[in-house]
Amino acid sequence: MLIWNEVEVASRDDKKKIQSERLINTVKRVYENVPYYAEKMRQVGVTPEDIKGVDDLYKLPFTYKSDLRENYPFGTFAVPLEDVIRVHASSGTTGKQTVVGYTKNDIDMWSECVARALTVAGVTKKDVIHVAYGYGLFTGGLGLHYGGELAGATVIPVSGGNTSRQIQLIQDFGATVLCCTPSYALYIADEMKEHGVSISDLKLKIGIFGAEPWSEEMRKEIESRLGIKAYDIYGLSEIVGPGVSMACEFGNGLHVADDHFIPEIIDTETGEVLPDGETGELVFTCITKEALPLIRYRTRDLSKLSNEKCACGRTNSRMEKVTGRSDDMLIIRGVNVFPSQIESVLLQCCEVEPHYMIYIDRIDNLDVMEVQIEMTQQFFSDEVRKIEAVESNLKHEIESALGVSVSVRLVEPKTVPRSEGKAKRVTDRRKI
Amino acid sequence: MFWQKDIETMRRSELESLQLERLKRIATYCYNNVPFYNKRFDDCGFNVDKIKTLKDIEYIPVTTKEDIRDNYPYGLFAVPMKKIVRIHASSGTTGKPTVVGYTRNDLNMWTDVVARVCVEAGATEDDVAQISFGYGLFTGALGLHYGLEKIGASVVPVSSGNTEKQVLLLKDFGVTVLISTPSYAMYIGEMAKDLGVSRSDTKLRLGLFGSEGCTEEMRNAIEESMGIIATDNYGLSELVGPGVSGECHLRKGMHIAEDHFYPEIINSDTCETLDRGETGELVITTLTKEGIPLLRYRTKDITRLNYDTCDCGRTHVRMAKVMGRSDDMFKIKGVNVFPSQIESVLVTTEHIGPHYQLTLRRENYLDNLEVKVELIDGSLLDKYSELENLQKTIKHKLRTVLGIDCKVILADPRSIERYVGKAKRVIDLRNE
Repeated sequence: MLIWNEVEVASRDDKKKIQSERLINTVKRVYENVPYYAEKMRQVGVTPEDIKGVDDLYKLPFTYKSDLRENYPFGTFAVPLEDVIRVHASSGTTGKQTVVGYTKNDIDMWSECVARALTVAGVTKKDVIHVAYGYGLFTGGLGLHYGGELAGATVIPVSGGNTSRQIQLIQDFGATVLCCTPSYALYIADEMKEHGVSISDLKLKIGIFGAEPWSEEMRKEIESRLGIKAYDIYGLSEIVGPGVSMACEFGNGLHVADDHFIPEIIDTETGEVLPDGETGELVFTCITKEALPLIRYRTRDLSKLSNEKCACGRTNSRMEKVTGRSDDMLIIRGVNVFPSQIESVLLQCCEVEPHYMIYIDRIDNLDVMEVQIEMTQQFFSDEVRKIEAVESNLKHEIESALGVSVSVRLVEPKTVPRSEGKAKRVTDRRKI
Repeated sequence: MFWQKDIETMRRSELESLQLERLKRIATYCYNNVPFYNKRFDDCGFNVDKIKTLKDIEYIPVTTKEDIRDNYPYGLFAVPMKKIVRIHASSGTTGKPTVVGYTRNDLNMWTDVVARVCVEAGATEDDVAQISFGYGLFTGALGLHYGLEKIGASVVPVSSGNTEKQVLLLKDFGVTVLISTPSYAMYIGEMAKDLGVSRSDTKLRLGLFGSEGCTEEMRNAIEESMGIIATDNYGLSELVGPGVSGECHLRKGMHIAEDHFYPEIINSDTCETLDRGETGELVITTLTKEGIPLLRYRTKDITRLNYDTCDCGRTHVRMAKVMGRSDDMFKIKGVNVFPSQIESVLVTTEHIGPHYQLTLRRENYLDNLEVKVELIDGSLLDKYSELENLQKTIKHKLRTVLGIDCKVILADPRSIERYVGKAKRVIDLRNE
């Protein structure tokens, strides 16, 4: 078995020692350098001296996505901007984005985590990695890119889009590893069929897929249609990007790089820490990051943890494949979408009511989103041409808010189903 | 400011002996490791012992883009794939893309030469740099990305497109340096005005522009409208990407990284080497590249070289702004025309904006050139006599510069297509 870093097989005791030492330092640093978090600590009456090791982690207050938004853009950073060499951000143009920063050491650490993940999947310097994740502010593309380069493989930075060209390049450049979202992998498989390219024309053997939830069935389908072994990689930009955890071939969950990120599972309602094996919300504490060391960050992803040694020999904590969310966030083609973002666009448009329904389908392995919105009674009587103009304007506004394409349809007043109590805004018809 | 002062200010005699030593080494390396060069040397009876002085480089036959295409994808690589850590490729609008491979040392060299370009233009670790080149197989974005990260600037990898968001980030992130094509910079500036973002809302101070030609007049227009210093840099993916040369703050030509790239100027038709200072096609020999070393590569770019020591202290030769590509140049009514000549006229004419399009047609066996350019103020279209006068002025100026008559069309503001990457300004319909 290939191991990138010995720390992946360290004993739990040694690991705990490393974690404790790093946690103590991080808390001290954050307390001194990040005013909003220091204030949180003061509010619950915790000082850095109270944190003597991992066992004291539960005493610390949580960090939420809203904390990042409220301190937009750089108010959460623990270092001056001159030490930051990279900035990533969530998609969308309106509303506050989630902004993350990296120092040189952070980038090195991140690359190392991705190199570990690639090694788990059996990638070596002989491999040719086709990176079809989008490059840019999204962490997927550049994350896999830096990790692949550190691992010494040949990296082909294709970025997303233009699927027939992707297929030509996979074929011509002899790619052995494919990195993209799982739904895009299936889309590539569809297009290959269309172009008459069979798997024997390709050298692909490994797929590294992530950035959206996918089922075991979907994994099997990708494996058989592309003739590869498919691995699940997990991450979120607030923590670092891809590489936070990675599945090995034994299918016992994803190995967390827990010398950098301490995982916990909590009860979403009470915030209490749950024991291993129980399902709850995943929370991470960054213990080595310099620019953005988030403490007890609420991911809103639902999972469970195990600390048993894996059959692959790695001893780090394993998290189960994420099964759902504790909030209403949707992932559309790898982009995080909140219904509230759409709502805030609608509230600014006087021709429509804030009654809407979001329909999500997966057509030809691509996520498709349609928003149906009720017109006002008054506007409804107007001409068709005006309706089309409003539709196209709303489409533009929503797309610019979300960073993902959408179709918009205005419907007659009082036709969107009403619900008693909590409104149901999303109908997700994808079979994942 | 210098990135590698010892090298950048090396005495010319020392630099030339370093070049000679490296030239001999790279020619031997090519002969031993690239079958294409091995055969080519043998075919023309060249052997490396013939190289006694730098002038003897002329014994080596030139390499062309077709040679790279003919050996698609990896035929010109001098090392096995396991040593290659990165692949880039040209867009390949026609036929197969041009493929280039980088070893780890190549990437380090590339990063250093880009770092030189950034530092000589005036960027520092205190800067926040927004990269608005498209990320992916194109070398522009990742090239600048690695160089800026190396000098410690905060890199914001926005990639191209979504121009509203470009403006938003520029403002919110306190961006000080913009990296894009000159035409996209103009478009971003225009969008900023539309969104009511004024110069004082941003901290932008410096532009590093490249990947397409930009006349001195266009540069002035960008500087004036955006209130920044605009610098030009040059490169092509076959050689390494951006970083081959760049302007220092004095902006009197772009310093070529001569310790890695040996330049010559040839006559495009006869391939004869021209005297120092003469204008012709730039030919470059990569002196240190391992992945895909190229000997006397024809860039198709028309420029001239200035060997005088620059007041900035750099001794490396300066190349003039590229006048055009030998394949951009079009022949009309027997006259050679570069789009840049027309751009210079248009940008310095009052009442018209910097967006233009050139269309070549053949009517009744005669070629004609239509120059379409946008008015700054659309209401001028209602004033027949003023419009006619303006048209006459432009026609007259163009006739003086080009020696031929053109058809001039004055168009509504914002009616000509905008580009987020390289602008496409010439449409040749003569063979349709």
